[in-house]
Amino acid sequence: MIIRYRTRPITAIIPTASMADIAFLLITFFMFTTSFSVDRTDVLLPASVVQQQVEKDAAIIAITADEGIRISDGIRESELVTDMAKLESILKEIVQTHPGRQFIIKCDKRAPYRSFNTVYEMMLRNGIRNISLLTEKKG
Amino acid sequence: MKSRISLRGKLSSEVPTSSMADIAFLLITFFMVTTVFTAIHGIDYGLPKKDASANIKPQESVYIHLMASGEITLDFVPVSSMEQLAAYIKGKMEQTQGRKPVILRTDPEVPYGMTVEVLDVLKQLDIQNISIPTQTDIELWKDYFRD
Repeated sequence: MIIRYRTRPITAIIPTASMADIAFLLITFFMFTTSFSVDRTDVLLPASVVQQQVEKDAAIIAITADEGIRISDGIRESELVTDMAKLESILKEIVQTHPGRQFIIKCDKRAPYRSFNTVYEMMLRNGIRNISLLTEKKG
Repeated sequence: MKSRISLRGKLSSEVPTSSMADIAFLLITFFMVTTVFTAIHGIDYGLPKKDASANIKPQESVYIHLMASGEITLDFVPVSSMEQLAAYIKGKMEQTQGRKPVILRTDPEVPYGMTVEVLDVLKQLDIQNISIPTQTDIELWKDYFRD
């Protein structure tokens, strides 16, 4: 006697119903944590042990090793300034439109102190008191 | 002739969601590529208000001078290491209950990184009263800053 087994074909299905949920959860996470950097100047930062987190939307002044200066008000993309008078006018504009805003000096550690001093003096002249010197963590 | 309309074929009410995951993953990829997780850190250098600042003579403070030659002098005496610098300032601060202001003068040719290194030592010692004179200040107060 031949016994015939009736086999039911098993369909190979990957359950993907929850995939969209997971994906949207991840999107939400990235949307909340994303911050678009307004300044991407390539500098070699000095290292320090003491560090404080800088304020969000702080204005950034970047100084490169070859003494190039870029400035951003913290909202718009940073722009290269070659003229010191222009830098001062931008500083004044930021101080007027965003009083009390923190200023970050993102200076390359190889840059001569005189370039930092130029910016520092200009900031003091314009009444900027809330300054943070950008560093990377030592060790 | 009687005609019969068959109502057997059911219309399913379904929202097509097959492409939703594709769109979602595309968005994830975008955010993953553009996200920067670096929280920006730095050394706070809060300055007093203009009217609150006072002129301090190097003689009345701890006076650090970073020279163009790479040499560091502390109260006009050369120091060889950051540890020596930290130990001296710590001693001075203990004597004066931390009231002595620290002046950090840097020559224009000195790399900026060196200034931050010294500033970091001062911040580690929790010194609140740090003054970084500008080159204009130094020019104006030549007699005070004479080594």
